[in-house]
Amino acid sequence: MKKRFNWGYLVSLLISVLLAFAIGAVILVIAGFNPLEAYAAMVDGAFSNARHIGDFLEYAMVLCLTGLACVLGSRVGIFNVGGEGQLLLGAVVSCQVGVWLAGYSAWIAIPAAALAAMAVGGFYALIPGWLKVKVKVNEVITTIMLNTIAASICQYLAKGPWKNANKNMVAATEKLDPRFWFKTLIPGSGLSTAIVAAIVITFLTWYVMQKTSVGYEMKLTGQNPRFAFFSGIKTDKIVIVCMVISGAMCGLVGMFRVYGVEHLYRSSISNQYYFEGLTVAMIAHYDPVTVIFLSFFFAVLKIGAQGMELSAGVPNQIYLIIQTVIIFFMAAESGIFASLRAGSQRRKARADIRRKEGEGHA
Amino acid sequence: MLKTILAAIFSAGTFNQMLRSATPVALAALGGAMTEHAGIMNIGMDGMILMGAFFGVLGSYLFGSAAAGVGLVLLMGVVVGLFFALFVVKFKSDEFIIGTALNTFALGLTSFLSRAIFGASGTKGNPALPTVHIPGLDSIPFLGQVLNDNSLFIYLTWLLVLVMWLFVYKTPYGFWLRASGEKPETLRTAGIAPEKMKWLASILCGLLCGLAGAHLSLGQLQGTFAENMANSRGYIAFACVIFSKANPAMAYIAALMFGFFDAIGLRLQDYISSDLTNTIPYIITIVMMVYVVVRSQRKKRYAGKRLPAKQG
Repeated sequence: MKKRFNWGYLVSLLISVLLAFAIGAVILVIAGFNPLEAYAAMVDGAFSNARHIGDFLEYAMVLCLTGLACVLGSRVGIFNVGGEGQLLLGAVVSCQVGVWLAGYSAWIAIPAAALAAMAVGGFYALIPGWLKVKVKVNEVITTIMLNTIAASICQYLAKGPWKNANKNMVAATEKLDPRFWFKTLIPGSGLSTAIVAAIVITFLTWYVMQKTSVGYEMKLTGQNPRFAFFSGIKTDKIVIVCMVISGAMCGLVGMFRVYGVEHLYRSSISNQYYFEGLTVAMIAHYDPVTVIFLSFFFAVLKIGAQGMELSAGVPNQIYLIIQTVIIFFMAAESGIFASLRAGSQRRKARADIRRKEGEGHA
Repeated sequence: MLKTILAAIFSAGTFNQMLRSATPVALAALGGAMTEHAGIMNIGMDGMILMGAFFGVLGSYLFGSAAAGVGLVLLMGVVVGLFFALFVVKFKSDEFIIGTALNTFALGLTSFLSRAIFGASGTKGNPALPTVHIPGLDSIPFLGQVLNDNSLFIYLTWLLVLVMWLFVYKTPYGFWLRASGEKPETLRTAGIAPEKMKWLASILCGLLCGLAGAHLSLGQLQGTFAENMANSRGYIAFACVIFSKANPAMAYIAALMFGFFDAIGLRLQDYISSDLTNTIPYIITIVMMVYVVVRSQRKKRYAGKRLPAKQG
């Protein structure tokens, strides 16, 4: 069965993006910047040289994986807002595993680190998943609390027991053995061979969700848990497993950031990246294919905004503003159309009455 | 060793710190109680607090007085409340998405404006809210130290808890507010649009969360704004709302509990890494959420057991 391409979605997305840029321009003007210059600097910042293109591809990878991790949860009706914590823990643990295994071959160390990252991320997602399924505790609050807890724990580990020997670097782990680094594909950029692994994971996630019976059971569980339960699907198990896989994916993203870009753990490994992936997933209405395409778009925006900050001096947070305005419009899309339609109907009804009254007088 | 730790924990300083930490959470929780009664799941309080913190400092910086800062915060609170209600009530969008987006939007907007106006290092030392000295209170040994010479909003919060409690449980508006969340169709039959009460709740929430932010930046930190300074307090406030079943007085007590554990964490910093003690209030919040759910399930089970007996 081939799904019809959803043109209505594309049109409202385009309108939302245009409106968001317009609102961004207003904010830029109020803050005393020239919006045209700023936006030109943004495009320039994303495409001007190979290094920036590499950076934006790397960031698209992060957005795509975190976005899909979020989709995986929401598909079965659980919102994993805790990806940030899972990512950070995955990063710090995988980095330390690499440090411990410094003497071994990369063929042992890298798989071990990847497994450790997935295990930690998965376990950290298991806590809120289990609480949600077995105790019925709202997962949004618990995952957000766990984010803050994870950030503190990682900070503690990087400052205390796992701190590097260098006195000047306060909160960072030991640097990885260069043999373990993922090969950088575009010199100077963050793009590494991790992207190959990311493409495989993306494909697998898409395939399982859209093309297998497990994916169908997941969809059923999310849309109508009671029906799914009474048709013999083990809904509790599916929800917990999806949450754990979602956490494992976030943990892996943390590992990719360490082994591909930073080569050690410090808090700059992620700056609320999961939340940006989450917003991409929201804008995509939790559709995996749309998440893949949109993550490229928002990666361009983000890297462009960073370039813009350097060249035009405009704070890069304008990127967050534009992105969230797009979400506001996309989330309110049906409501806005409904109230517009209601308004035009009201006008029409009023015009009808007036016409009828006019006829009555004549 | 243990004796010194315990002495540090149960000192007047701890209880004073408890009051300080609890106040922003309590103010936000009062706002969250309004939207909760109106049947809106408000995840966006964190963003509202952050905006309150920023616009408070901005007003104080622009007009050179903390009162002007609070005025700007009140204005902003109404605007944010209207904005939230526009999407959640009028356009009937997903509350979770709008709330999360509002938080990220607030983070982006305040960081952007802060860097554009104050530069990368932020701003400090703007005119701040005064502290209140109550003459005669010092003569009471322990309470005097805890309760006296606090920032203005700590006392204002007590007043607001009382006012909101009276509003929710003793006025017709509060009655309609609760009905708009619990039985909206019944309220409509009675001739009052539940949407109107939802708009009102949203505006009140914007105002109270704005005040929470203003207390944070203008009161607690003496006119300083730091990026993302709300630091998940909005979510802790949300947990307090759930814990207290949106009762303003109980929400204040829940916030005090959070404040107490936060204060203990600060006290223990001399013995344990501050990164670890920082996690205490967040762990407590999770425990609190679990406790609330387990309690209500137990009650339900109890009610289920009693019901047939009554009928028989």
